[in-house]
Amino acid sequence: METKIGVFLCNCGGAINNIDFDATVKKVAKFPSVTCANLSSDLCLEKGKEKMISCIRGENIERVVVAACSPEFQEHIFREVLEKAGLNGHLLSMANIREQCSWTHDGDVTEKAVELVKMAVNRVRLLQPMEKKELPVNREVLVVGGGFSASNTALQLSRVGLRTTLLEKEAVLGDGTEEMESFYGFDTGSMISAVEVDKNIEVLTSAQMTEVGGKIGDFSVRIRQEGGEILRKYGAIVLATGHQTELALDSEPQLRAEDEAISGLNIVSQEQFCCMLGNSGLETEPKTIGFMFDFSDENSRFTTLATLNNALEAKKKWGSEIYVFYKSVKVDSAGMEKLYQEARDCGVVFLRSEVPPRITAENGRVKIEAKDVFLGEDVILACDVLVAEELYLPAEGAENLSSLLSIRRDSKGFFQDENVHLYPVGSEKKGIFFIGGCRGDLDLGRVLTDISSVVMKVHELLSSGKILVELEKVKADPQKCVACLTCIRVCPHGAIQLVRVDGSKEVAEISDLACDACGICAAICPAKAIKFQGYRDEEILAQIEAIQEL
Amino acid sequence: MNGCIVAFCCEHSAYPAADLAGKLRLHYPENIRVIRVPCAGRVDVIHILKALEKGAAAVLVLGCEDGACHHITGNTRAKERVKYCNMLLKEVQIDGRPVAMFNLSPNAPHKFVRAVNEVTKIIKESGR
Amino acid sequence: MIIAERKPMEEIKQAMAPYKKVLVAGCETCVAVCWAGGEKEVEILASQLRLARSAEGNEIVTLEATVERQCEKEMVEELKDKVAEVEAVLSLACGSGVQTMAELFEDKPVFPAVNTTFIGMPEKEGLWVEMCGACGDCFLDRTGGICPIVRCAKGLLNGPCGGTRRGGKCEIDPEKDCAWVLIYRRLEKQGRLDLMREYYSPKNFRAVKRPGRVQAAKA
Repeated sequence: METKIGVFLCNCGGAINNIDFDATVKKVAKFPSVTCANLSSDLCLEKGKEKMISCIRGENIERVVVAACSPEFQEHIFREVLEKAGLNGHLLSMANIREQCSWTHDGDVTEKAVELVKMAVNRVRLLQPMEKKELPVNREVLVVGGGFSASNTALQLSRVGLRTTLLEKEAVLGDGTEEMESFYGFDTGSMISAVEVDKNIEVLTSAQMTEVGGKIGDFSVRIRQEGGEILRKYGAIVLATGHQTELALDSEPQLRAEDEAISGLNIVSQEQFCCMLGNSGLETEPKTIGFMFDFSDENSRFTTLATLNNALEAKKKWGSEIYVFYKSVKVDSAGMEKLYQEARDCGVVFLRSEVPPRITAENGRVKIEAKDVFLGEDVILACDVLVAEELYLPAEGAENLSSLLSIRRDSKGFFQDENVHLYPVGSEKKGIFFIGGCRGDLDLGRVLTDISSVVMKVHELLSSGKILVELEKVKADPQKCVACLTCIRVCPHGAIQLVRVDGSKEVAEISDLACDACGICAAICPAKAIKFQGYRDEEILAQIEAIQEL
Repeated sequence: MNGCIVAFCCEHSAYPAADLAGKLRLHYPENIRVIRVPCAGRVDVIHILKALEKGAAAVLVLGCEDGACHHITGNTRAKERVKYCNMLLKEVQIDGRPVAMFNLSPNAPHKFVRAVNEVTKIIKESGR
Repeated sequence: MIIAERKPMEEIKQAMAPYKKVLVAGCETCVAVCWAGGEKEVEILASQLRLARSAEGNEIVTLEATVERQCEKEMVEELKDKVAEVEAVLSLACGSGVQTMAELFEDKPVFPAVNTTFIGMPEKEGLWVEMCGACGDCFLDRTGGICPIVRCAKGLLNGPCGGTRRGGKCEIDPEKDCAWVLIYRRLEKQGRLDLMREYYSPKNFRAVKRPGRVQAAKA
């Protein structure tokens, strides 16, 4: 196919200085279909872009290669330049002659640069234009949960103009926030009141999802409440189902108390201890208290926080002797180091042990035995109350939610971050997010960050009521598709379904909205029916063709 | 040019890692040609075979770390395909040229450089 | 659908040894869906052959083509020009397709590149299992939809054999489920356990004369 390709090279203001650009331009200009090749020193700046546009127009260029910095930075900028010049933005291919050529090799790299340009020219020759379209989306958001994360997310979404439904399976909101309240000092009551009066928030209690279908911008959710079922539509779903704790003594064999008489002893959870602290009618104030954490569960940030807070509180309130048995103290949350120091200064004793302490009964008191790492000796403590280690687990129902929504969880059952560093609150399905305790062991700082993060993402997605998509970026050719269902089964984003075309034939259809352009379906289709624009087989093979062919 | 490595780099891990190597001016041999892909899972067996037919001394697929694939299963599938490819080559007794998979995160430029250096060494030692 | 599996590479290489120009022909139906002989497999096999022969210093030229169904004469006809150019054809289709090619192009040797194995279905991604024995005398309704001829290791019509292992596994292959246990459970769900007491006489394999012929009644 005869076409006119323009190659624009840039030396990045002189930052690329080990390429003989004159020789390169000469060689490149001779490549088939290349009708113009020139060098700039500032292609991404206004002046450079304007020159590029007039060159494209003047020489009737149909496709463009930009040989400069990495496409990771500037690809979208140059796509815009093409559009301004009247070309489809997708008819662009970039050659990375800076980060992956000039800057990493010694000496003259002209030969490699020319080859990289040839690879891009080969590819751009085959690229096809892509249309963009704005597809309407539902602007309502479903937030599953009723605690701190859920409520605050709903409030913030309301502030940016989005309507939310808070879906809580218990009868009331704010379940499970008491501990957080006492540690961080916020008021659940006023938070719930704010939610209840907010016109943009609908609260459904004693309600659960029973079925979810659809995709981002258009989820259909069946909700069961007392008295019936309703069907609702949402543009995005946020899971904020929180966590639960379980006494490690009940489930971890190495911590299991060895004596039968243990059941009669005062072994409590952090929450129960909180209640004791708050109970002004307590019969006897415990004189010696033991705490345990971090032996069986690495997710111990929250329990560390709870222990430090409770220990300090008990010290101040009752003046008891307090001993904390730990494997490691995780102080990586804001303010924790200070809290830890304060506890030590107050006289709380921290005893480090490599293995979980043995717990037995002695004269009606709890006996804890452990070998202190620093003393190198066994420490035996008889205490009135033991606040035992807790496991930090996802809240009940997480497994059910995971299968309803087809999103995965990690080995501990928390909702898996698809890429912890870059996309912390997103699931593998576009439009479904998770925040807060259901993601794992978080502290308030991180929860607040999660909330802001998800509000921003949802706002970005839904606020205009439209999402701009590239049409048919990945498409299954209905002529070639044999409905073998392979792509449907492997798509990690649940973006493909079987539809009927021409009245009878069933073929795979890829949703432009839900597709995340990975190409896994394109690679696996046995009939080679799926075309992924920009990364079709021919487009990849054309780059290979250019290698070693100079 | 001799001893060319064709490296398929995923845009969520290896490609940005290679870019970062450039920004840090880390040096590695010139004989590598990077092909950018949206996910290691896009790379198919025929791409690898065609690269070898064209004369590549080695073919690498670089994707996200285990468990951290942006598209969940892409890197696992790529690994399986690389394994399958090696089997195909062994079947026809052409298993002298390395076809391998590397996993790295986008902020690991040294891993990228190490992979390129390692493979270049193997190529040189086998006399290509 | 028909499930096939690529032959050992040694066999294919040996078959192609005397030739310098061949057509590698695939089929887009059954063998494509079970990843044995579709366009992708044609590409890969052709590439493998070229690499192998190049390394031996005995280059081979491969033409590649895939038709929708290699068992249809009209579709195979389309390959006429390509077949004329080559010395032999390497077909990745099932036995039906190989024979259609051989019949249409009688002067060219046609080699099968896959072994046609059974009629089956996908159990999960990449795994196909045999379901039907093509006995020509189907009684699946009476076995709850589970075929004992292929799914029972002994092909019993009046099972189980009494050697069923713990967990409902087969005596012969402990990895397999005992088909008759599966049949029992299925019939139980349907409330038709009385069928377990029916005696089935040996199948009349002459019901399907080889080679089989089926004439449709309507035009």
